[in-house]
Amino acid sequence: MQARFPILLGLSLLALAAVMLAGVLWGTASLTWGQRAAILTGSGEAPRGLSLIVWEWRIPRVLAMALIGAGLSLAGALMQTALRNPMADPYLMGLSSGASAAAVGAIIWLPASVTAVLGVPLMAFLGAGAAFAMTLGLSVRRGEALDPLVVVLSGVAISLMFQSLTAFFLYVGDPHATRSALGWLMGTGAGTEWQEVPMLAIGLLAAAAAAFVKAGDLDATLLGDERAEALGVDTGRLRLLIFFGTVILTGLAVSVAGIVGFIGLIVPHMARLLTGARHQRLLPLSMVLGAAILTAADLLCRILLAPEELPLGVLLALFAAPPFISILRGVRRAA
Amino acid sequence: MPLEPILEIRNLSVRAGGKTRVSDVSLSCQAGEILGLLGPNGAGKTTVLRTLYHAVRPSAGEIRLKGRLQQDWSRADWSRTLGALVQGSGLLTGLTPQDIVGIGLRPLGLARMDQQRRTEEALSLAGLTEKAEQNAESLSGGELQRCYFAQLLARDPEVYVLDEPTNHLDLHYQLVLLDEVKRRGRTALITLHDLPVAKRYCDRIAMMQSGTVSRSGAAADMLSGAVISSVYQVDAGFSGQAFSIEGPLLRPQPAQMLRSG
Repeated sequence: MQARFPILLGLSLLALAAVMLAGVLWGTASLTWGQRAAILTGSGEAPRGLSLIVWEWRIPRVLAMALIGAGLSLAGALMQTALRNPMADPYLMGLSSGASAAAVGAIIWLPASVTAVLGVPLMAFLGAGAAFAMTLGLSVRRGEALDPLVVVLSGVAISLMFQSLTAFFLYVGDPHATRSALGWLMGTGAGTEWQEVPMLAIGLLAAAAAAFVKAGDLDATLLGDERAEALGVDTGRLRLLIFFGTVILTGLAVSVAGIVGFIGLIVPHMARLLTGARHQRLLPLSMVLGAAILTAADLLCRILLAPEELPLGVLLALFAAPPFISILRGVRRAA
Repeated sequence: MPLEPILEIRNLSVRAGGKTRVSDVSLSCQAGEILGLLGPNGAGKTTVLRTLYHAVRPSAGEIRLKGRLQQDWSRADWSRTLGALVQGSGLLTGLTPQDIVGIGLRPLGLARMDQQRRTEEALSLAGLTEKAEQNAESLSGGELQRCYFAQLLARDPEVYVLDEPTNHLDLHYQLVLLDEVKRRGRTALITLHDLPVAKRYCDRIAMMQSGTVSRSGAAADMLSGAVISSVYQVDAGFSGQAFSIEGPLLRPQPAQMLRSG
């Protein structure tokens, strides 16, 4: 597995480059090859409208999708390690429901002028943060280490609470606002702006750097808390660090693209099958694969029903079901 | 003048979950000595060991390693000096025995060649060379225990803390692996349920009952019929002398492959 890793990473990087390029070249508007060349080289012959589509819509969107795919996969891999649970995903601590309730509430209830100033992304980020704080608050007991199972169950309780709030907002909202809220709930790359890209990039870089520094401790955590403690790892602190990293990564992702499901659950599994569970190899491969898969899914969402766009959730759920079932069978066999 | 002990536990008490698990336990190990911690289930043996690898915090008392208080050590230095074989289950998907040993070696910051050599030697000692690159999830309980034992032997700390090291192991590997600890001349603190094994390896034995050390002394004295029957509440006829494991292993060991202390 060790020897294979550089080849795997190289191939995945190539695939990522290819789908990113495809994401820029293809989309709802069809261009000729001559136009594409003219736009990308920035020569004056390119029609301004088409140039705008590529430079202001497609390129930031493709970059954002790659960063979000990488971030959610990283967060998923870290959560699976922190909770030592192969079914863990980045949204486990109530993050998606908190973000949803806040965003849907903002879309449906707040006057458009307020939403424009505060922004749905900020509201979603705050909602995710609030849900996380509540989950953690429920799980922490003085003088005792965080129990992963208690964290999961607290997350479930907080999720239920926010889900009922979201359902209420959707039920009482007017149909037009509800439709826009539903689009957000199913995840979409539409409407991504340049200004969102650096924010995603900084969040991802910081979290990835911290994770690589702690790769050895993360490996040890897989063996069980007692064994990790015996190897000198402060598992309580490491787990807290992972949770904070996950909130940053996931909060940024939902604030830009809504609830993008399944990537954080499935991609780390694919990477683990390909390169094993040592984090030094698992994390980079997860990130590159996640970036490539989400970029590809987003491209399909744009072109399958063009000029209509599909929400990401529709395609991702379709692709995620078979691997999910195989994981489940694996877990049952191991149990 | 007696030497300063390499590991010293003084008046240790542990409270957890509102209960006193261990109260006023004092133990010490001289360098190179193997101290057995025996006693019935629930006596607090494992809890004492857990304080040694930071899994539980003592509510009173002090622990010194090489004369320095536990809280004056960094976690990293402490765990390099005192290594533990402990109970517990993990998420082993995607890990091989080689990985498991490697995870233990990583904090030592060894050169790649050295790390590889130590891994191979330890896995061969534990009889896992052929399974070195198999999925750890497919190992049996005994094989997994050997794998974690191999991790500890590869790390080779100055002090070995072994929590029921013979768990899941067949007689052959009980002897191979514990013989190796003894051969290296390391200090060890071991919890055991197997009296013949205790007799074979321990220099001294401390008997624990209901959270305290009820008596301690030379292994031969502690394994007498009278002590055993009082500690374990069994008929004196059924005691440590029922049988014993003595002499060298029947199968010659590939001694040249073993690393010297």
